[in-house]
Amino acid sequence: METTIQISGLSKSYAGNKVIENLSLSVAAGEVYGLLGANGAGKSTTIECILGTREADSGSVRILGFNPWEDRKQLFEQVGVQFQESNYPDKIKVRELCEETACLYRQPSSYGELLQRFDLADKREAFVSELSGGQKQKLFIVLALIPNPKVVFLDELTTGLDTKARREVWKSLQELKEQGLTIFLSSHFMDEVEILCDQIGILKDGGFVFEGTVQEAVELSPYERLEDAYLWFTGEEETGDE
Amino acid sequence: MNKFLTMLKTELKLSFRGMDMIIFALCMPVVVAVILGVIYGNRAATPEAEYSFLEQSFGALSTIAICAGGVMGLPLLISDYRQKKILKRYKVTPTSPAFLLAVWVAIYAIYSLLSLLIVFGTLSLFFGCRFNGSFGGFLLTYILVMLSMFSIGLMVGGIAPDMKTASVIASILYFPMLIFSGATLPYEVMPSALQKAADILPLTQGIKMLKAASLGFPLESVWISIVIMFAFMIICGGIAVRFFKWE
Repeated sequence: METTIQISGLSKSYAGNKVIENLSLSVAAGEVYGLLGANGAGKSTTIECILGTREADSGSVRILGFNPWEDRKQLFEQVGVQFQESNYPDKIKVRELCEETACLYRQPSSYGELLQRFDLADKREAFVSELSGGQKQKLFIVLALIPNPKVVFLDELTTGLDTKARREVWKSLQELKEQGLTIFLSSHFMDEVEILCDQIGILKDGGFVFEGTVQEAVELSPYERLEDAYLWFTGEEETGDE
Repeated sequence: MNKFLTMLKTELKLSFRGMDMIIFALCMPVVVAVILGVIYGNRAATPEAEYSFLEQSFGALSTIAICAGGVMGLPLLISDYRQKKILKRYKVTPTSPAFLLAVWVAIYAIYSLLSLLIVFGTLSLFFGCRFNGSFGGFLLTYILVMLSMFSIGLMVGGIAPDMKTASVIASILYFPMLIFSGATLPYEVMPSALQKAADILPLTQGIKMLKAASLGFPLESVWISIVIMFAFMIICGGIAVRFFKWE
């Protein structure tokens, strides 16, 4: 299968502390890859180094054959990104933020349809600052999909969403996956990882302690559920005294 | 182009909603114009001059908006967008720093040109001022002064590490220029020692050019100012684009 994301030997340290070390992974076209790990395990740093918003100390990254650190313009025409924090100007409306985003791309998707799909159509004329946490999160997923991307990066996909909204987001992403979208997401919810991800990587202290499918992770561990397996891999299963 | 207009339209709306520029770039120049008008009426600039003091001040008043937009508005907007990590989001889109800078320059250019019209309207309607220079020459000079002042702001906004630093630098540039370059307090009434100090400020040079252009003096008389304006535009603009930081 065609490789969409290829990462090798990615390392990054801040002030002498290694945040991620020698990470390698590859994601095939149309796959959903889930990057798991506790807070501070290096998930966001990994995503940011892949995208080039942080400069990696070493390693190489290819997305759709492009080097994101050098071929920004060509690459980001085809890549959508949702960062962990939502960033928007003061006093901007939902529609305006969508318009500003859409105008940057040659062939954007219709943001009207995306807003509808994520149940935000009635918020078009609302100020972004007035949206609830979950609505903002959904809006930033919409923004990541506006480029009509081949690959989308979603950092902390459904943090802050209620149960119903999470299921809606999953459903939409599954539909997009069926249309061939490659998805790279980070999450600490095992239920969504089980539903969405073809491949996962579990990060601990900046390195992988597991790489493979959800099923393989469960089989390798002494447990039957991914959540238990995940805790087993990260060595956090007996932290009840914390 | 469509992309540019879409961005410009939205960013302009956001700026209007913010109100700061409406006050500092559109209202304040008119207020100062009215105050000078009330004080000086149609008194001649000097006993032998054929133009009034107020006509002489027009060039200076027209730069208040340039100063507000270029040295205050632009750097604060850019550093605010950086601090809020909006620029980081733009970094993962196909857009370029030059495009974003161009949109922001256009916003403050619109404010400046609007202010120019309002100030001229006020002076001519209520105080009988006439414009003795060439319109084309004045407009070109105005654009040159605007771009060179804006490039200072772009540089500050482009390289200041955070909003706080940007706002300190902006204040250090804005207030002295607003008061001592002659934009508000007329250069001609300053004691000569203060005039010499004021000459260091880039906007003072810009105002000299605008005065020459609006009163119909030959521009050769201010060639040094023209060179200084171009130098600021090229050096600061170059630094702004070269050292632009998304984050």
